[in-house]
Formats: sequence, structure tokens, C-alpha cells
Amino acid sequence: MNHSTTASGTQAATGSAAAGVAAGSRERSDPRVVLADRVEQLYSQLPLGIAATAVIGLISALELREGRIIELVAFWGGLLLLVSALHGALYFAYRRSADKLAQGEQWLRWLGIGAFAAGVTWGFGASVFFPSHADERQVFLAFLLSGVMSGGIPVYAASWPIFAAYAAGIAIPFTYVLATFGNRLFAEIALLVPLFYGVSVAIAYRLNRVFHSGYRLRHAYGKLTEDYSVLNQRLELQLVELDEARRQVEASGRKLALFAERAPIAVLEIDPRGIVTAVNHAAELLFGYAAGELIGGHVKRLVLPELHAEFDGHWMRMTETRQPLAGLRIRNPRRDGIALVCEWTVTPLVNPEGDIVSVIAQGQDVTRQIEAERMKKEFTSTLSHELRTPLTSIIGSLQLVNSGVAGELSRDVSELTLVAERNGQRLLDIINDILDIEKIESGTISMAPEVLAIDGLVREAIVLNEGFGERFKVRFEVRGELPGREVYADRKRLLQVMTNLLSNAAKFSPEWGKVEITLEESDANIHVGVHDRGPGIPEEFRSRIFGRFAQADSTASRQKGGTGLGLAIGKRMIELMHGRIGFEDRAGGGTTFWFELPKHPGKEP
Amino acid sequence: MPDRPLTRICYVEDDEDIQRIVRMSLERLGKMTVEIVGDPTRAIEAMSAFRPDLVMLDWMMPAMDGPTLFRQMQLRPETKALPVVFITAKASQRDLDELMAMGAAGAISKPFSPKDLPEQLRAIWAKLP
Repeated sequence: MNHSTTASGTQAATGSAAAGVAAGSRERSDPRVVLADRVEQLYSQLPLGIAATAVIGLISALELREGRIIELVAFWGGLLLLVSALHGALYFAYRRSADKLAQGEQWLRWLGIGAFAAGVTWGFGASVFFPSHADERQVFLAFLLSGVMSGGIPVYAASWPIFAAYAAGIAIPFTYVLATFGNRLFAEIALLVPLFYGVSVAIAYRLNRVFHSGYRLRHAYGKLTEDYSVLNQRLELQLVELDEARRQVEASGRKLALFAERAPIAVLEIDPRGIVTAVNHAAELLFGYAAGELIGGHVKRLVLPELHAEFDGHWMRMTETRQPLAGLRIRNPRRDGIALVCEWTVTPLVNPEGDIVSVIAQGQDVTRQIEAERMKKEFTSTLSHELRTPLTSIIGSLQLVNSGVAGELSRDVSELTLVAERNGQRLLDIINDILDIEKIESGTISMAPEVLAIDGLVREAIVLNEGFGERFKVRFEVRGELPGREVYADRKRLLQVMTNLLSNAAKFSPEWGKVEITLEESDANIHVGVHDRGPGIPEEFRSRIFGRFAQADSTASRQKGGTGLGLAIGKRMIELMHGRIGFEDRAGGGTTFWFELPKHPGKEP
Repeated sequence: MPDRPLTRICYVEDDEDIQRIVRMSLERLGKMTVEIVGDPTRAIEAMSAFRPDLVMLDWMMPAMDGPTLFRQMQLRPETKALPVVFITAKASQRDLDELMAMGAAGAISKPFSPKDLPEQLRAIWAKLP
């Protein structure tokens, strides 16, 4: 969550930085910015120009006031002051302007007008005062005017047309006055003034070019610096991001290490040659070695020597296929020499080039588990064979005695031997049921299904149980028939289920009663019902009737026999044959147990 | 179906109690002549001498188990043709299928009923070619 937020934020930042760089490269050739810089340069010279004008104007006015009409000098001085004041106002207006970039042309134009006005004021002064004064003052005026004109060059150098307008305002009236004065020397000078003007404008033009390219360079450099700082910012951002990623990797590394360290299973890291490089605490505990004793040694130290060949085989298979090995059981000697059986999951860590960098082995001690499995198997085997063999002799002997082959018995003896035979049989039933339950629970029960005619099978089940019914003075009666209908089921198992249902029905039927067996079919299923007229199933017993050791009343098992496992076994067996089993109350009293099996798609009658 | 009734049975079984029950069941109820062999390693010799109609083999015996004895019988001309019925307590269906495929005549599971044993054997006998 935290990481993804960082990532998307960085992406946005990187995106905008890239946009900034693109915009920068476009702006690099923007003449508006260069113009704005030039305008800025021109206006920054204005205070100097104003100050120079004021000083020079004051000196001139003082010098010129003698020999001329004082009013005219005052008017000229006032004009000069007005022009200077307007320049000052222009300067302040420019300084306060918000958008100097967009209005660069406008400010340039105003400055041009101002410059021309200043030039004209100086030119006006020349044309008015030059003819009216004597020689010395004429020289002063000529010097003054040439100084004012050439002084304009640095001030207006950032824009040669402005200088040209300014200088023209001075040069044209002065040339006119000189040319019309009637003096040959002055007429010659009048010829030189335009030349001086042209040279000055040319110098201003060259200066202007230099300024222009200077500003462009400065601007480009500024843009480069800007781009550089954007790049720098981006780099910084990436560094932060990298640092964050590193922290996250470190954190998950620590977490993983913690998992391995605290895990209850032994974890070993092994290099591709089989040398142990790391072990966790559980591994130390399991094998009795300290980590330092295992690290650097070969992992085969933890394998019984006689199993080394087998181990090499597994290892080679794992390194060749690069596939993990799971459920690998190997006998591992502990430091004290006792061999444990451990179950291992061995996972090779493969780099992108396909080489194994290291191998992680996770193992746990299954010695006890295996022992428990073995004991359970042994117990089942004992139950199955060692108990059944003597029971064969017991029941067999009693059967022979009861059949009379060993001679006639007295009534009392016969009664007792019958009790013994019946209970021997009951013990055998219990053993068989427990074995069935064990097989069902361990998943080792197997079905041998075959195609069976349901009519024949039901009749066979009834014949098998008639004797049992007679004991309880109960008759079995079949209602309906389904000739030719077949199911795909395990014959012995299905007979076992039928026997269970029939014997239950017989046990709980009233004496001289009858148990009805119905055969019905639906589109897909064969339905077999076993109906008794017994006392019904007690309410509190209904939910666990198909559970293990289920008997409504523990006295029933003593009176009627049975283990309480029959229905649990029957339910599972019917389900393994893809059928359903159930029960319901019977109208008029009693209970119906039924099961349903899918029809075998065989011949129709 | 063989053209003569089943009268001579040889039973190889190490458990003496079961030997007695089977002998009594087959002799008294089935009216047959029974030869019991307790040591499976001497069974073939005994069969050659006794010449039974049918042989019953216990599956699990300490010296040699029933299936091994059955395979040995098939290697000997004097016992090769004898029909064999296995008596077994714990063989799986697959084991039985395998033996039937090898030519066993039938199997009766333990615990069997001595009352029904003669009839079970006669039923197997009747199905023989």
C-alpha cells in the first residue's frame, strides 16, 4: 500500500518534470523573452539618462542665459524638465508593470517616443540658441550637442532604432541651422553632421547586435540551468524512491529471516555444491549441532552414510530439473547418533540466468508420526487377522456343536451353546464394522462395482436375512418389482447395506410383524425402501442416526445386538456408489429407511 | 461340471483348531474323505500320495504362504491339474483376482461357517469344467 502510493506519486512528479524540460526547450528560442530582457536593460539606463540630462541642461541654461531673451531660455529649460519628468514617470510605470514579458513591444514604443522627444528638445535648443550667440558659445553648443548625441549610444544601445530616432531629433535641426547660417565653415560642418550621425547609428547598430546575441546567450544559459535543476530534482526524487525501495527490501529481508529463525521447522540454506551456508534455531535443536558446526560443512553429514547414494540421486535430480522436491523422507542422524526420520521440502533458488544460487531445505521430524502410522497399521492387521482366526475356531466349533454333528445335546446345554455362538458372531460383526469404519476414515476402502440386477440383489439380501428375521419372528415381504433394471455397484457392499437395513427393521419390529421392501424407479434412480412398524426414531436421535456408535438406547444393543456402526458404514458406502440414503416416518407408525442408486443405462424391458 | 461327486479333500493349514473344525465339518456333514497337512513344505508330497479331488490352501502360514505353495503346485505335473480353493482372512480383492487369473478355483473368506463349508465347496466343484 505504502509502496504503491510512493510509486504513483513519483510517476506524476517525473511526468511533470519531463513536461517542464520539453517546455524549456521550446522557450529557449522565444524572442519575446529576449525582447523583454532588452527592454529591461533600456529602462535600467533611464535614471542615468535623466540625471545626465538634468545636469547638462542646468549647466547649458546657466551658460546660455546671457545675451539672449531669458524667457526663451526658461521655456527651453522647462521643456527639458518636462521631458525628464515624463521619462521619470515612464520609468516608474514600467517598474510597476505586472506583465513586462507580454507588453515588451509596448514599453519599447513608449521609450522610443520619449527618446525622440528628448532628441527633439536638444535639437530645438540648438536651432534656437546657435544663431543668437557669439563664437565661443557656438563652440560650446556644438560640443554639447555632439556629447549629448554620442552619450545616447550606450544608453540606447539595446535598441538601435530608438537611438536613431533620438539622434535624428538632435542632428536634423542642428544641420539645418548650420547649413542656413551663411558661413562657409558652418556649411562644411553641416555636411559633416549627417556623417557623424550615420557613424553613430552604425555603432549603435553593432552594439545592439552584440547586446541581442548576449541576451540570447544569457537566456539560453538560463534555460539550461533551469533544465539542469529540473533534472537534478528528478534525480533527487529517484534517489528518494530508491532509498525507500531499499528500505522495503531490507524490511522484507528481515521479515523473512525472522520467519526462518522462529519457524518450528528446521531450515537450512545450502549452496549448489551441498555446503551448508545458514541454519535456523529449529535446525540446531533438531540435530543437536550448533549453527557454527553445520555451516561450512557438507549437508550429507546430516544423512545416514548408507543413504548417501540415495541422497546424491535426489540432489542430482533437483539440480538437473531445478524443480523443488517435496515430501522427501530421509533418515537423518542426530549429533548423539540417534537417527530421525525427517520429511523435507527442498527448493532450489534459481536466478534469471537459470543457475541455482542456493537451495533451501525445510524439514520436520516425522519419526513419531511414522511410528504412529505403523502402530495403527499393525493394530488394524492384528484386529483383522489375530482376532478373526481364533474367532473362526470358536464360532466354527459352536456351529458344529449346535448342528448336532458331535451328538445330541441336552436342552440346557444347547441353549447355552446357542448363546455362545450368537455372541461370538456378534463379536465378529463388531470387529468387521470397526475395520470398515477404519477403512472408510483412512480412505483405503475400495469398491469393486459391477452391473447388478436390482431385483435379484434384493431377493438375495432377503434370503440371507430370513434366518435373522425368524429370530425376531418377523417376515420380509417384497412389494413391486423392477425386472431388467440395473445398478452399477459393489455387490458385497450393497448386500452389507441391505443386511444392515433389514436386520435393523427386524430388530425393531413387533413380534409377528412384517417388514415391507419396496422397489421403485424414477427417471434416473432406483429407489429401495425398507418399511417397519417399529416404535419410530426418537426425536433427539434423528440428527445423529448416521453417526458412529449411534444407538438410540444403550440397552438396545444388549437386547438386540449391533454395534451402532452399521448405518454410518452404510451411508458412506452408498455415497461411494454415488447414491443417497435416508429415513422418514411411516404413515400409520413405524419408519422407512431408503436408499437410492443411479440407474445403470442398460437394457429396457 | 466334473462327472463324479466331490469326495476327497486335501487341506493345508497350520492352525490345529481349524484343522479339527474343518475335518469334522467335511467328514461328518459333508461325508467326504479329508487329508490335513500341517506343514506346507510337505504338502506336494502328501497330495501326490493322497490324490485329492480338490485342495484347500490357507493363505497365511508361517513356513510358506498359500500363494507360494499354489505356484509350486503348478510347476509339478502330479499337482498341476488340481483345483485349488483359498481360505483367507485378509487378502484384498486384488490379491484374489490375481489368484483367480492364475487358475485358482475359488476363495472362501475366514471366518467361514463349518455348517455351510461342504455346500460352498460343492458349489465351487460344480462350476469346474
